[in-house]
Order: sequence, then C-alpha cells, then structure tokens
Amino acid sequence: MSNALVQIDSLCIDVKVTRTRRLTIVNSATFDVHPGQLLGLIGESGSGKTMLCRSLVGTLHRRGAYINSGSLTFNGIDLIKATPKEWRDIRGKEIGYIPQSALAGPNPVMTIGAQMAEAIQLGEKMDKSVVRKRAIELLEIVQIRRPEIVLKQYPYELSGGMKQRVMIACAIAREPKLIVADEPTTGLDVTVQAEIMQLLKQIRKDLNTAIILVSHDLPLINEVCDDIVIMHAGSTVEKIPSANIERTRHPYTEALYKSRIDLVEPRGKLITIKGQPPTVGDWPTGCRFAGRCDYAKPGCSADVEIPSIKIGPNHLTSCIRQAEIWGK
Amino acid sequence: MSNNKAFAADASRKERIKEWVSRPGGFGIITGSLMFAAITLVGFIYPLVGPYAADEFVGESLEGPSLSHPMGLDQLGRDVMTRVFSAVPADIGIAFLGVTIPLTIGTVVGILLGISKNKYVVSTVSSLIDGINAFPLLIIAIAMVTFLGPGLFNVVIILTLMSWARYARIARTKAVVVLQQNYIEATKLMGYSKRRVISKHVAPNVSSESLAYALSDFILVIIIVSGLSFLGFAARPPMPEWGSMIADGRTFLGQAWWLTVFPGLAICWSAISLSFIVEGLSRRDRGNS
Amino acid sequence: MNLLEAFDVSVTFKAFGYEVQAVKNVDFVLPQGKVVGIVGESGSGKSTFARVLTGLQEPTGGYVTYLGAPIQDGKEIYKGELRKAVQMVFQDPYSSLNPRMRIINAVAEAVRVHQNPNKAEAQQIALDLLKRMGISEIDAFKYPSSLSGGQRQRASVARALSVQPKILIADEPTSAIDQSAQSQLLELFSELIKDGLSIVLVSHDLGVIRYLTDNVYVMQNGEFVETGSSSKIFESPSNAYTQKLISSIPSSGKK
Repeated sequence: MSNALVQIDSLCIDVKVTRTRRLTIVNSATFDVHPGQLLGLIGESGSGKTMLCRSLVGTLHRRGAYINSGSLTFNGIDLIKATPKEWRDIRGKEIGYIPQSALAGPNPVMTIGAQMAEAIQLGEKMDKSVVRKRAIELLEIVQIRRPEIVLKQYPYELSGGMKQRVMIACAIAREPKLIVADEPTTGLDVTVQAEIMQLLKQIRKDLNTAIILVSHDLPLINEVCDDIVIMHAGSTVEKIPSANIERTRHPYTEALYKSRIDLVEPRGKLITIKGQPPTVGDWPTGCRFAGRCDYAKPGCSADVEIPSIKIGPNHLTSCIRQAEIWGK
Repeated sequence: MSNNKAFAADASRKERIKEWVSRPGGFGIITGSLMFAAITLVGFIYPLVGPYAADEFVGESLEGPSLSHPMGLDQLGRDVMTRVFSAVPADIGIAFLGVTIPLTIGTVVGILLGISKNKYVVSTVSSLIDGINAFPLLIIAIAMVTFLGPGLFNVVIILTLMSWARYARIARTKAVVVLQQNYIEATKLMGYSKRRVISKHVAPNVSSESLAYALSDFILVIIIVSGLSFLGFAARPPMPEWGSMIADGRTFLGQAWWLTVFPGLAICWSAISLSFIVEGLSRRDRGNS
Repeated sequence: MNLLEAFDVSVTFKAFGYEVQAVKNVDFVLPQGKVVGIVGESGSGKSTFARVLTGLQEPTGGYVTYLGAPIQDGKEIYKGELRKAVQMVFQDPYSSLNPRMRIINAVAEAVRVHQNPNKAEAQQIALDLLKRMGISEIDAFKYPSSLSGGQRQRASVARALSVQPKILIADEPTSAIDQSAQSQLLELFSELIKDGLSIVLVSHDLGVIRYLTDNVYVMQNGEFVETGSSSKIFESPSNAYTQKLISSIPSSGKK
C-alpha cells in the first residue's frame, strides 16, 4: 500500500540483556497504518506491543533495545536509520504519544501550563501569549472546563481522567499525523474511559490523525477502532477489520474473542485459553500459540518461518492452517 | 511478568548451575567467593601445617624473600608469610564478629521497632539510632579506645556499640515496608501467631536487605580493624595482625619492603574479593529488576 | 440465612488534621451460597468496606455480624471462628505472596496450622489444592517471582481456601492480570461457587460483576446508591449514576 502512513514489515526488536546476551522481544511485526485510521493493537503482557510503540517514537534505546531487522517507515522516512536530530523533528511534531495513564502522566513538579508550553513549543521559541492561547485552545478541545485555572494547577490537584486529558492535549499540540496511545485508559474508571474514547474519535475526525490504540481490552478496541492488529509472543498474528472480528482466521484471536465475558451468560461456561503465555525469550519453534491452540497439529511447531497470509484487502493472518480450519 | 527463564524443573544440575552463573553478576560472585574462601582457608590452615610458628625466630633479621621464606623475614627474624596468614583470624575473624554481632542485634531491634505500636518507644529509640548514626565511626572508635584501652576484643565491643544502629535503621525501614504488604495481612487473616508471622514472614524479608548491607560493611570493618591496629589501638605485638605489621614495617620501608607490602596485599585481597561479591550481587539485582 | 451483615457501617480516616469519610453509613447483606458484588469506581470506598467485612479494618461506626454474632467485641476482633470463615484475595498479585517462601510452603503452612499438623500430609493436601487451582506440581515448588500474575492470584486463592472458609472476599482479583488469566480465574470462582462457597466480589470491572454475581451493590463516594439483583441492575438500573456506569461499558457492538 503506497499511500500508507506507517509501514512496518517483519520488524524484529532485540534487547541487550548482558554484554553477550540478547533477547528478542518482537520477532516479526507486520502491518500498515493509513492516514486518519484508528488502529487497535491488542496483546497480553509479553506480546511486545509496548516495545513496538517505543520503536514508533524512537525511545527504544532507553531500554537498551534496538531494531535488529525488518523495516519501519513513516511518511516515507526510514525510522530505523533516523538520526537523533531527525527524531527531534518527528517526535511530538509528526508522531505524538499518549502514555499509559497509571504510569507516566504529567510531571508532578511542573504546572500544567508549564508542561503544555513545553509540548507546544518543543524546543522552538514562541511568543508567550501565543503559547498560552494555544494551550487554552487545546484544553478546550480535550473538554477540560475552566482551562485558565487548570493551567496554574499541579498534577496532584487533578483527577486521573483530567490528567490523561492533559496528556492528550500535549500529544495533539502540534497536530501530528500519527498518535500512539499506549493503554491510555488502563486504570481509569469505566465512565472516564468511555469519555476519553469519545475524545479520541473526535480528534481523529477533526484533525485526520491516525491513532494507534494499544490495549489488552478486546471489547473496547472492538467498539472504538476501525481495524485491529493482534499480537502474541512477539509477533503480529492477525490484522482484521473490527467489523469482521467474528470471521477471524487465527486461533488466538478466536480464543480471545470467545473468552470475552460480556458474551457469556452469567456463570455460564467460560471459554478459556489453556496454559500460560510463553515467557519472553523462551519461545518455542514454529507458531508460538501452538502449545495453547485447540487446532494445533504437529506441523505447527515445525521450525519454519511464520508467514503473513493475505485473506482480504485488509485482512492478514499468520495461521498456516487457516484454510483447513475455516475454509477458503 | 518475571524475567526468569522458564526453567524446567527437571533440567540437570549442571545446566542449572550454568544458568545461574551466566546471569548478570555470576562471574563476580564466583571469583570473589573463591578469592575470599582462599585467603580465609589458608589463614586458618596454614599456621597449623606450616613449618614455622608466627613468633618463632627462624633466621637472620630482615632477610629478603626466598624459596624457604617466600615473603621474607621481619626485623626479629620471624617468617613474614606465616605471620601474614596467622593474622587472618585476627583481621578477618574479628571483622566478622564486628559485623555479625551488630547485624543480629540491630536487625532484631529494627524489626521490633517496625512492629511496635507504642509511639513513644518508637520515637525515642529512633532518635537514639539517628544520634548514634550521626557520628563518624572511625573517629569515635579512636576516642573510645582511649577509654577502654587497646585490644582486639575491645574493638569488637566498640564496633558493636556503634554499628548496631546502622543495621537497626535499615531493618526498621524494611520492616515497615514489609508489614504493609498484602501477604502479611494474609497472615492476619490466617490467624497465625505473632511469633510465626515475625519469624517466618517478616524476618526473612527484612534480613535479606540487612545481609546485603552487612557484606559491604564487612569490607569497611576489615579496613577499620587494620586501621586501628596500624594506629596502635587494637592489636598489640607480638600478635600478628596486618595493620600492626604494616606499622612495624614502616621504619624499614626503604630496606625491607616485604614487611609492609605483603600485609598490605592481604588487606587488599580481602577487600577486593568481597567487593567482587558485592558488585556481582548488585549487578544481579539490577539485571533482574 | 445471612452469613455476613453490615449495619450502619462507617469508616473515617484521620490524617494530618484532615478527616476523610471513606464509608458512610452502609448496610450490607451476604446471603449463604450467593455471590454479591460491590461495584464502584476507584476511591469509592469499596476496598475499605471489603476490609471491614474481613475484620482487617475496624469501622468507626456501626458493626458487622457473622451468623448473627458481631465480629468485633469492643476492640477485640473476633478471632478463631471468623478467621476460618472469612478469607480474602487481594488485588495485587505481586505483594500477595511471601517472596521468600515457595508457593507449596505458603499453602502447606496454612493447612498445618488449621487442618493437619503432619508435615507430609499437609504438603499433600496443599499440592492437591494447588492442582485444583490449576497450578502444577512443578510450579508449586517455585517461588512467587517465577510465576505469572494469574498463577499468583490462583495461588493466593489456594492459600485462602486452605482454611476451608465459607466466605471469600475478592478485592479486584482480576484487575492486575491478563485477559486469559482473568478467564481462568473466573472459571475457578464459578467452580468454587458450585461447591458452596459464598463470595463478595469487589470490582470496577462491570463485565466481571455481571458474569459472577447474584446481587450487586453500587457504591459511589462511600455510599451504596443502588442495590438489587444483578440482572435488574444491568438491564434496568434506576439510579442515574448506575445508569451512567452501565452505559459506559463497551458493548460487543457490531451485530
């Protein structure tokens, strides 16, 4: 797809554990993001989704991680070879980032106004009144009431939902083409979560920003996003339009979908995925879900390259048995 | 999610040892342990099996290193090597006591303080601990020696009196944290006796931190013991002890370097080997977080 | 028959001259054999109230009874009987288990103290219990740091069950673990309910509440704003706050 905003192909991210040992965190990630697309990225812990986000904002080196192979392009720019100077032009201005609500968030020792000023200017000198006007404008976009007062407040005076809105305001300050939202509503209450999702959808509509929404919550992603990328044990195992989630062609997605409790009768039989997710770095050969898969055959664990099979224009899967299981 | 490799319980012993060593810090821990074990063992065994006694006059005074006397002879004709190794019980042994006794006392006090609900007791004892910790160890040790008189056992007493407070502070801080953990609340729900909770649940988690500190402290105390002896406040002649040997050898530094260098190397060897262990352990901690 | 009842319970915290009332005059009932949910947002006071029900937190007002008898007599928390009857599973799997104790020993210890002092037999009982929770023998001998969050939660449940309680109070048991581990834990709870365990489930996750509970109490700012059977609350909530909560759940959508 040549009009894709982001192209990720067979991306492999390793992390340096000791001087000699390397651990592969992301083994093979492949998907595209188009302008204005709301893409959900779902995976459990150990799936590599956080590292993938880091690669998109250029902060891999902070964890001692690096891209081992594959390609990662944004708007035609090769992000793997991007120099720190090029990243400074991209980060914040072209690609925005909303951190996980429970962890990061606004700097506790700076006022909201100071942080927004930082996000708006990004190192460039701007007139103070211009910055302030923009900050108020942004706070209004994220539906914070009485923005002039909030600008003077410190993060501890705000609720979790408000803090997250501030982070969103900072992320959209320069109207980036892409926003990476790493579990932005985890830990927030469900009412606040609904409001934040509405906000993100609005931003996508008004600014035509592509948004990658990372979460472990399938119902949420299913409702909010256009398309979903499912990751398991370091690989993207399927990419499927939200609307077609029931016509999945990968056992892991099917298991995730079927194990949703909102689809089950109270105390009814729950479909669970047996076993444990594989430990990072200790992955088996072949398909890494085979050990927990109901459809697995011996051939699934063979030491071969896991393919990316195209089912439809927007549907990719990596299950080699998909045709047998679900028909052509 | 734990970072530990999923290790099959039936992996052979050899493989498990190999895995343990390859984790960060393994090299340091093993090297340090071997080095330290070496000097400690030699120190305790050599004087028993060696040809000379530590205070035996075996030859010409100030004879240089030779095959029969690899570390030479001192000004009284005693074999330096025998004396260096005979000093191990003094230096390392006394330092060991100077760490383990304050460690035990301090950790017990710290845990009790962490458990205590009596505000007055806690604040009084905490202030006492802070007060003691405020004084620099070596200076106070020297001052106390003038009261108690010199001697290695007096040094142990001084160290105990001064150091327990450091351990108590560490133990208390950790105890407070541990007591807030869910698994301690679970013991309340289980109806376990206070004795069981303290001994099986609180103490093991608190002492892991105290022990880590104790290892670093060990290095410091070895140097303090040698240092005090060097100044003449601890070991008295003719007892072999590295610090006093260095002090005695000072006057002959130009002619007979072996009198000071070998005891000095012994101190270095001990300190460095322990440092390797400490560094290895902290690398391991960092790598596993 | 009601196992647990709370009458006019309040909890007020005092710190640095400030007073915060976390729980305000609430009444509560846990009938035998039922699963009662307490749903509310963070800061609503539900965890504090759950701890009052276990006896870990002393209420500043009101009292709680177990089988009709108050669990606290003045300052004394009613030990013995209550300890065996009510157990708790906590939210954070990472601090719920003693990091210096192997899982098997943590559970066997409880068995030795309450059921059978014989070491070997207690260990076997503990192993069987852990197996029932889905933890293999190999995993049982590991330290908590070698297990995943979901496994640790199940180990905590095993420890809680080793005293054979009638009531299990679960404070946000699924919040800190993965999707697949959540389903496994909920399936486990379902089985335990079939075996006769009564559960008080505290959660902000409405999906979990809907799946598991018979009755629900909705908590907001320390008060119960609505209560009723789970089906009624989810289908036709009457309180405005409850309605807001229900409508915020992501639906399965695209049918």
